[in-house]
Amino acid sequence: MEYFSYLMATGISTGALYALVALGIVVIYKSTQVVNFAHGEMFMLGGYLGYTFHVMLGWPYLLSFLLAVGAGFVLGLAVDRVAFRPLMQRQTMVSVLLAMIGLSFVLKGVARWLWGGKGDYLSFPPLVSPTPISFGGIMVMSQQLVVLGAACLVMAAFAVFFKFTRAGRFMQATADNPKAAKLVGLRTDRVYMYTFAVGSAVAAAAAVLMAPLTLLYPDIGFALFIKAFAAAVLGGLTSIPGAVVGGFLIGIIEQLAAGYIHSSLQEVAAFVVIMLVLTFIPTGLFGQRRLRKV
Amino acid sequence: MRHLVGKRAFIVALFGALLLAPSVTNQYQTFVANLILLYIILSLGLNLLIGFAGQLALSNAAMYGIGAYGTGLMMAHFGFPYWAAAPCGALLAMGLGTLLALPALRLSGIYLALATLAFAQFTYWVMTHWTDVTFGAGGFVPPRIDFSPLPVNQEQGIYYLSWILALLLYVVARRAMESPVGRAFVAIRDGEVAAQSLGIDLLRYKSLAFAMSGFYAGVAGALYCGLLGFVGPESFDLLQMILHKGAVVLGGMGSVVGSVIGGTLLTVLVEITKEAKFSIEIAFGGLLVVFVLFQPSGLIVFIRKWLPGWDERLHYVPPGTAPPVQAARTAAAEGDD
Amino acid sequence: MVKPALAVRDLSVSFGGVTALQDVSADFPSGEIIGIIGPNGAGKTTLLNVICGMNPPDAGDVFLGEHRLNGMKPNRIAALGLRRTFQSSQLFAGMSVLENMMTGLHLMGSTGLFGAILRSRRMREEEREMRERALQSLDFVGFRHFADRPGSALSFGQQRIIEIARTLIFEPKVVLLDEPAVGLSVNRVAELDTLLRRIRDERGVTLIMIEHVIRLVMGVSDRVVVLNSGRKIAEGLPDEVRRDEAVIEAYLGHQAHA
Repeated sequence: MEYFSYLMATGISTGALYALVALGIVVIYKSTQVVNFAHGEMFMLGGYLGYTFHVMLGWPYLLSFLLAVGAGFVLGLAVDRVAFRPLMQRQTMVSVLLAMIGLSFVLKGVARWLWGGKGDYLSFPPLVSPTPISFGGIMVMSQQLVVLGAACLVMAAFAVFFKFTRAGRFMQATADNPKAAKLVGLRTDRVYMYTFAVGSAVAAAAAVLMAPLTLLYPDIGFALFIKAFAAAVLGGLTSIPGAVVGGFLIGIIEQLAAGYIHSSLQEVAAFVVIMLVLTFIPTGLFGQRRLRKV
Repeated sequence: MRHLVGKRAFIVALFGALLLAPSVTNQYQTFVANLILLYIILSLGLNLLIGFAGQLALSNAAMYGIGAYGTGLMMAHFGFPYWAAAPCGALLAMGLGTLLALPALRLSGIYLALATLAFAQFTYWVMTHWTDVTFGAGGFVPPRIDFSPLPVNQEQGIYYLSWILALLLYVVARRAMESPVGRAFVAIRDGEVAAQSLGIDLLRYKSLAFAMSGFYAGVAGALYCGLLGFVGPESFDLLQMILHKGAVVLGGMGSVVGSVIGGTLLTVLVEITKEAKFSIEIAFGGLLVVFVLFQPSGLIVFIRKWLPGWDERLHYVPPGTAPPVQAARTAAAEGDD
Repeated sequence: MVKPALAVRDLSVSFGGVTALQDVSADFPSGEIIGIIGPNGAGKTTLLNVICGMNPPDAGDVFLGEHRLNGMKPNRIAALGLRRTFQSSQLFAGMSVLENMMTGLHLMGSTGLFGAILRSRRMREEEREMRERALQSLDFVGFRHFADRPGSALSFGQQRIIEIARTLIFEPKVVLLDEPAVGLSVNRVAELDTLLRRIRDERGVTLIMIEHVIRLVMGVSDRVVVLNSGRKIAEGLPDEVRRDEAVIEAYLGHQAHA
């Protein structure tokens, strides 16, 4: 039982991070109809920037967190302006996807060049003391609790933003019905840009939260992207709450599979979920069926 | 005179040069020339699937690996001679590749891309972790290949075999695409629904596209096993996938000759970036972005302009004419009865 | 009693709780032009989608001559002699106009991949014949000079005409047209009118046409079917339908609510 609750606890805290990244993917997908293949790299760069501020420059964690989130926002703006928007206007879906794949590689290469090569794994100092605390019989790392708490805060902030701020409601409207949004006079281009930026900022937040728990390396962007995509697909690519649920589920499934069947399954659980979901329930748990119109 | 410098002349010149290469170049350069031949094959196959049939599948590197592993393992575990093991590898890649056609019927665009990517990552994981069979992350060295009674050693044998297969597979691709099969592929790419309304069976032709590209990648993999004399998972990772995509985009999606150009140039560019110690990731990722933004139809467009004797049936999507993503999306949002 | 070229019986379809078609029955006699009209959202395109196999019906039957089409895949239904056009242009952009037409002859090909690879004599003969027939088809609509242009280089109106020609090339029995006049100028609509009559008279094809351009539909159709909110509310000669109370109510009522 203890083992189970340990696995669950780990699964829930990593799941919270997957949920955050998946949120970014779903939000961008809902408004632009494109899955941002470079999203994982937004995450990765956010993490590296956080490292630069906190470890290399020695600034306090909270400050570094906020700066990294801000930088993620700006980076998202830049990527939208420079790559995403020109692509969307001119090219077919296949080309856009290929270009985003290319972009993700460019960003990964840049990170490798700036912060270290293939073998370099960067580590964050732990945020709080690494001794586990007992939660009514369940042993949890306090670091995990902090991460979980912070992730939930970010998700809550996100929900508030979408529901209660003007900008958020505009984004929601544009995502639900782009044509109507245009007719009503919303500058859809601008909205896409900010959606992109918000998605990236959230990914950066997730990275800085996760950094103390694990090691940073350039390929982590892709590794996380695949898991977050599995979460998004499981929840249904058009459903924001679905992304959150999916994230936690993936986190838990990973831990349980690794803990009870074989440790190497942790890497591969997400792939299997993607293949199974897309084959049997492509709309996921909460997504809507897309009607094809010609 | 300009008519002389057409497609045929180009192909003859290129393959002629490649045929002569081993006699005039050093061992390393011959190795690179052999790689060119492999990337020509890989690019040809992938173009059939992505460029002609429009199926964005990210599993080509995995098929390449399955071809290599299939061949090597048959030799290592069962003592097959190369001439029996190589077809096994190629056919295994073809079979597994064809299975991916099933999700392709229900998924498209990013869904298909990520489903095939998940499959590719899964394959990579199997290669790395199924140590009993695949020898794990460290890879393995298959037995030496004996080409007797032909008077060639392994290096020479693999080189000329690669040459023959590259040429053959080029001809096959040309002929297949300049036929009703080719038109069916392009119809599926440019208007799947209308294609069906004209009687084109999507399952059949998508399966065919996946099977052919799987076969091509499998053949290249079997040759790679012989070329390198070693099989290991790190040759078939994400970067490999980008290289394949790069070759197709560079040469021109939907152009068979473009694949030949793309495969050749890609190999040369990889060598150059290695020399300059410049990051391959930045170089080829950047290549994809730049080409998609500015010349998605590939270099073939420039070549067609400069060499008017170049007659190639139009099969790539002329730039600026395909419905951009946004327009397609708005159309989908239209109300309808 | 001669079997109609196409018949639907008690056809019902709904999507996610919304009823698109409810107990629709109609006969489409052979060799006639039948127009389908109705306000927006009436279910007209859904009806075409069900007939050609893109959507399976929840209940009811579709008959193409003697064949019951329920549940068949669209390419199979096409092989039985049904063709259709779509509201948006579906010319294949990456092919020449001629190749687009040759693709219309896809079902004629018998040599498959191996024939193509070996360039067998049969394959070359079939290619030649397809080319010939494609050129003839372009002649029928007077567009032979466009043969080698890319599909995407033509104007919208020209593309629509070529698409219609593409549906005819393999001598279908029934052709479904989804708003063929959309986006056409007045002159072009008149040309379309002439073309449709020629198709019916010279080729003996049954044309079933969704249209909003009332002038065209009433002018060229032999009979008209009216749908509203998923049900058939009227059927008959154009003049009869024009005066039918239910039809007037449907259009006016819809305007009042619009």
